[in-house]
Amino acid sequence: MKFRIERDVLADAVAWTARSLPVRPPVPVLAGMLIEAGDQLKLSSFDYEVSAQMTMDIDADEPGTALVSGRLLAEICRSLPAAPVEITTDGAKVTLKCGSAKFTLLTMPVEDYPSLPDMPPAAGTIGSDAFAAAVSQVAIAAGRDDTLPMLTGVRVEIEGETVTLASTDRYRLAVRTLRWKPERPDISAVALVPAKTLSDTAKSLTSGAEVSIALATGGTGEGMIGFEGGGRRTTTRLLDAEFVKYQSLWPKETSAVAEIQTGPFAEAVKRVGLVAEKNTPVRLSFRQDEVVLEAGSGDDAQAVEVLGASLDGQDIDIAFNPNFLLDGLSAIGSDVARLAMTTSTKPAVITGKPADEGDPDYRYLIMPIRLSS
Amino acid sequence: MRLVIARCSVDYAGKLTAHLPMAPRLILMKADGSVSIHADDRAYKPLNWMNPPCTLKEEEGRWTVTHGKSGEQLILTIEEILHDSSHELGIDPGLRKDGVEAHLQELLAEHITTLGEGWKLIRREYPTAIGPVDILCRDDKSGTVAVEIKRRGEIDGVEQLTRYLELLNRDPLLAPVRGIFAAQEIKPQARVLAADRGIDCVTLDYDALRGIERDGTLF
Repeated sequence: MKFRIERDVLADAVAWTARSLPVRPPVPVLAGMLIEAGDQLKLSSFDYEVSAQMTMDIDADEPGTALVSGRLLAEICRSLPAAPVEITTDGAKVTLKCGSAKFTLLTMPVEDYPSLPDMPPAAGTIGSDAFAAAVSQVAIAAGRDDTLPMLTGVRVEIEGETVTLASTDRYRLAVRTLRWKPERPDISAVALVPAKTLSDTAKSLTSGAEVSIALATGGTGEGMIGFEGGGRRTTTRLLDAEFVKYQSLWPKETSAVAEIQTGPFAEAVKRVGLVAEKNTPVRLSFRQDEVVLEAGSGDDAQAVEVLGASLDGQDIDIAFNPNFLLDGLSAIGSDVARLAMTTSTKPAVITGKPADEGDPDYRYLIMPIRLSS
Repeated sequence: MRLVIARCSVDYAGKLTAHLPMAPRLILMKADGSVSIHADDRAYKPLNWMNPPCTLKEEEGRWTVTHGKSGEQLILTIEEILHDSSHELGIDPGLRKDGVEAHLQELLAEHITTLGEGWKLIRREYPTAIGPVDILCRDDKSGTVAVEIKRRGEIDGVEQLTRYLELLNRDPLLAPVRGIFAAQEIKPQARVLAADRGIDCVTLDYDALRGIERDGTLF
């Protein structure tokens, strides 16, 4: 194997592929990154859950394959000088030359490396930036504790031209709908994708204009979802769990709808929240033209701030975990936040104020904290 | 078990020397022949002690504890005895299995469908030649599953389950038996080892199993 490649191109490709290297490889070869050079250069990593493969055009002087330590290769590529890189195999070793630097890396047996799962059939395509934004809006509400695997996933529902993403950690629920271009107009599918993998993947695929989503669910064998865009292709195993029937969680009626400038509101929550001890809420009192934010009580430090707000409906006092509230406010992506509330003990819906009246494409449902007094 | 509370000073003569000045202390003389001198602090840890076998020679105002093999001596100079009583404790049943762990086993056996719809319990504490398996059950496809329950899931728990699985899989009536490692918290190393051996990991929610409902959640 012998080929030359631009340093930045290689560094980007190696860094992206290295993201899927397992932290604790049960088999030593999985710590490796597979380099396949031919008409194209292919870099692969796999940890049995997630696979990543980067493909780019090169002109190899001699085709070949090699398996080298992925971590080490990623660290080396990160700190190479700005010069073209030449990679050659030399017996059981790989030599990497860049400017005046030269590295010799040990290789592992290529034949021991597992074959990467095949990409499932393509289901459709979506704008990469829109997809990354939507995933980040939803993934914030996913749980991190794996007691209930369902809570660590993002549910992806595909119905024709509409994709719905949803996740919840029991304290809040985030749901986003967006349009995409399905392969077949009558497509209908659901999948539960690990939230962390999905958000990392969506963020890393913004280099191409579009992301192609491939889905294999149902039938025998484990479900799998694949994403492809800009020469990068990654697959991940789906979570095998039933997602909560979240449609019934939305409040049937609301007694008060408040509208507040998102920026100043988020800043005030952050400020007032400084005195909120762990697990204590920020209390909001909505009146006709204002909202009073308070935190802390009794002998502890206290904070209070008053903001202008418009309220349609009855006056209401309600309290939230400040972090969960901030997550919602940062995700709505709108200058004006709209809070639809029922009572101080029933969940509230946070949305951005839509330009025209219609269903907002992003909704964040948050459970209030019961006030003890 | 003989308990003595006395004002005493203690001198230790052996590999090294130590001296405890005159003060009120608790002296424990256990049935195994050990003697230990305790102050009113440091939990279980004595100020000084002599392991069995040892002999106690009681003289007026001076007790001498001599170690049977090494001849090391603990000399107690007694000024005043404040309390002296003996109690027959009998044979101790030993340290019982962690309360939470036993309870988790009981609860999971009772709610075996936590592991999956249609699962059935075969029995708790299923006996094998190398000790009982916490839970043996059948999954929805009638496959045998051995479950090892821990409070904290670490490497040695996976090893334990591996040994059970190896033995259980020799039984033609049960084989093939797969394993589930269930714990309230599973260490990443244990997770990797379990996955490598084809053992599934399940994190248990003690509160949910006990039926303690969370307050202030959406569902």
